[in-house]
Amino acid sequence: MCHQIHQQVVHESAFKKTSQKQGLFALLLIVLEWTRPGLPSPLRPICDLRVLNHFIKEARDAESAMRSCREGCSLSESVTVPQTRVDFDIWEKKNALDQAQEVQSGLWLLHQALSSLRASVTNTALHSHLDNSIRNLLSINAVLRSLNIQEYTPPASVVAGDETWQVSSATDLLQVYVNFLRGKVRLLLLDAQACHQDVS
Amino acid sequence: MTYDHLRQLLVLSLLFCIQTASIVQGAQDLERKASMLLREEPENPKCFAEGRKDFTCFWEEDEETTGSVDQYSFTYTYQNENSSKCPLRALHTADGKRLYVCHLNRTQMFVQMDIQVHRQGLLIHNRSLLIELVFLLNPPANVTVSNNGEQGQLRVSWVPPPLKYMDDSMMYEVSYAPADSQTEQVEVVRASSELILRGLQPGTQYSVRVRVKLDGISYNGYWSAWSDPVLTNTLPADLDPLIVSLSLIISLILIVLSLTVLLSHRSFLIKKIWPAIPNPESKFQGLFTVYGGDFQEWLGQTNGGLWLTPVFFYPEESPSPLEVLSELSLSPSLPSPQEEEGGLDEEKRLGQVDSALMGQWRGMPHDQWLMDQLQTLHRQPAPCSQSSLLESQDAYVTLNANNHSGDEHLDDILEETAPLEVLFASMRNVSSESHSDMGSLQQSSGSGRLSSESSFEYPNHTWPPKGHGYTYMVVADSGVSMDYSPMSSSRVDDIGKVVIYANEYKNEIPAHRRPLLTSIKAMFKSGDFGCSSFLSCLIQMNPEY
Repeated sequence: MCHQIHQQVVHESAFKKTSQKQGLFALLLIVLEWTRPGLPSPLRPICDLRVLNHFIKEARDAESAMRSCREGCSLSESVTVPQTRVDFDIWEKKNALDQAQEVQSGLWLLHQALSSLRASVTNTALHSHLDNSIRNLLSINAVLRSLNIQEYTPPASVVAGDETWQVSSATDLLQVYVNFLRGKVRLLLLDAQACHQDVS
Repeated sequence: MTYDHLRQLLVLSLLFCIQTASIVQGAQDLERKASMLLREEPENPKCFAEGRKDFTCFWEEDEETTGSVDQYSFTYTYQNENSSKCPLRALHTADGKRLYVCHLNRTQMFVQMDIQVHRQGLLIHNRSLLIELVFLLNPPANVTVSNNGEQGQLRVSWVPPPLKYMDDSMMYEVSYAPADSQTEQVEVVRASSELILRGLQPGTQYSVRVRVKLDGISYNGYWSAWSDPVLTNTLPADLDPLIVSLSLIISLILIVLSLTVLLSHRSFLIKKIWPAIPNPESKFQGLFTVYGGDFQEWLGQTNGGLWLTPVFFYPEESPSPLEVLSELSLSPSLPSPQEEEGGLDEEKRLGQVDSALMGQWRGMPHDQWLMDQLQTLHRQPAPCSQSSLLESQDAYVTLNANNHSGDEHLDDILEETAPLEVLFASMRNVSSESHSDMGSLQQSSGSGRLSSESSFEYPNHTWPPKGHGYTYMVVADSGVSMDYSPMSSSRVDDIGKVVIYANEYKNEIPAHRRPLLTSIKAMFKSGDFGCSSFLSCLIQMNPEY
């Protein structure tokens, strides 16, 4: 009698243990499913240009702040920046891929340049502006990604092409940054196919 | 051949005309924009872009100081590029100025442009700008204003300038005002090509115009010229159903309130508007309703009620004089008048007309009432039955025809007369000299038609002096004495004056030697006595009057 009870108790405890394990395993699966890393899911296209307008405004604020700066706001070295000029006849003749390539490379160059400027500027007031600008550049990258625009892979060696030039002044750099956002980036976002497919 | 030549000539001329027209139009546009820029832009040269690809710069010179076009050179340099020259042309304006204009058909935006103007090698103007920041557009076209079916609203729509990539960067200003008013309101619209104006006056004509500018984020520029004004009428005002219903409800409430007030004060208003004619109906019960106003009949049918009905006129009767005995001081030894001697009239003018009773009677002045009574008495020859003087000391006259006991009629008598019993009782206690001889008609069994209920009270001391040869009545009150003495009827040779006081009867009967008689209940029925009123009987008893 006692032995049977003992056996029953043992069986019950074993059963409980296995059920606990199964429950834990199920819970783990659920949690992993939620936080599944890895393949990026297709993002919803960001077609609203108000985001870019916001970035442009902040870039203009940074440029005006740099213009009024007297000390501790100079580039230590010259940086390569993209060309910002837009000839509409030429621009419209380019295909979407080229346009995207042009924009992506330019953004990458600007990112490098701004990082260099951020490192060399000692004025603390400008630090916030420059940090903001760098963050915005990364956000623009995300926006372009959402529009299925391929990412730019920088070449192994820096190629001085037609579309780049050198600046040594901080104000010039920020001016280039502003003009680039207002020009080519904006035109690319306006023409993005992902946005045009939604609009009838 | 000639035909072909002619045709070619015609085509060429047409083309020329069109071109000239467009040039003229362009020139006019340029002049308008130039004049506007001359006002707004301080820098020289003044430059603007009208589209994605064209670019115009100009500056102004006076005619006197200017040279020829060749003296000037316009040089522009994009950033990181070589400089270029722009061909100039001169324009003559209306106010004696000269414009030098440079026009470019291909531009680069989002890049800095440096401009230099030289005159004969000397730099006269220098400017650095970005082309996408100096847009000066044409005003919006096809501005249409329409009613959208709502009160006080208008819908404005227009066509934005045909610029690719810049539709969402445009900002509009809509100016609207009543056609005859100078104050105008402005609404700003961004990135949309229509607007609904609200809060407008109904039924008025509005003038609406629109202008455009780039919003300044990616592109910038100057405000365009205003479009041509468009006149439109708003919808006429119609009754707001809420206002109509509210006003109806309020008027209904006011009407109900006024009706309520009127009805609640109905009687007051009726009295004011139609004042009630005084009607003596209540005093003469049944006179108007039963007898139709015939007073004689009414008198004949009524009991006389509580009231002595003094109103009984026989116009044909002439008034007869009544001798009023003066106040007499009677000795207690005066023989009491015997009943059987009485030629007294049952009608009991025995009773003294007390002033108090007068007062109780219908507000008629005492004297006038007496006169009226005298008149009526004279008119009616009522057969007065024999009556004897009252012998009882405690008797008092109640003149009524109902043959009820006088005591019973006491109940009908007004309350003021109730204490007469007490009064009479106290009479016994009065001094002898003032003790009055009271005769009770009740006791005058031989009085014939005397009413047993008739009782007459009179003060003892008011016994009239002997010598009266006629039937007379002693009327006595507090100050009046009158002798009702049948036995002295034959010996009346003078008429005593009966002084009748018009005193108010008060319940305080002085216990002193005042004459006891204070009131007489003159309750009688004319039918029994043959005369209709107390005074008529009184008069009949003295027929010679």
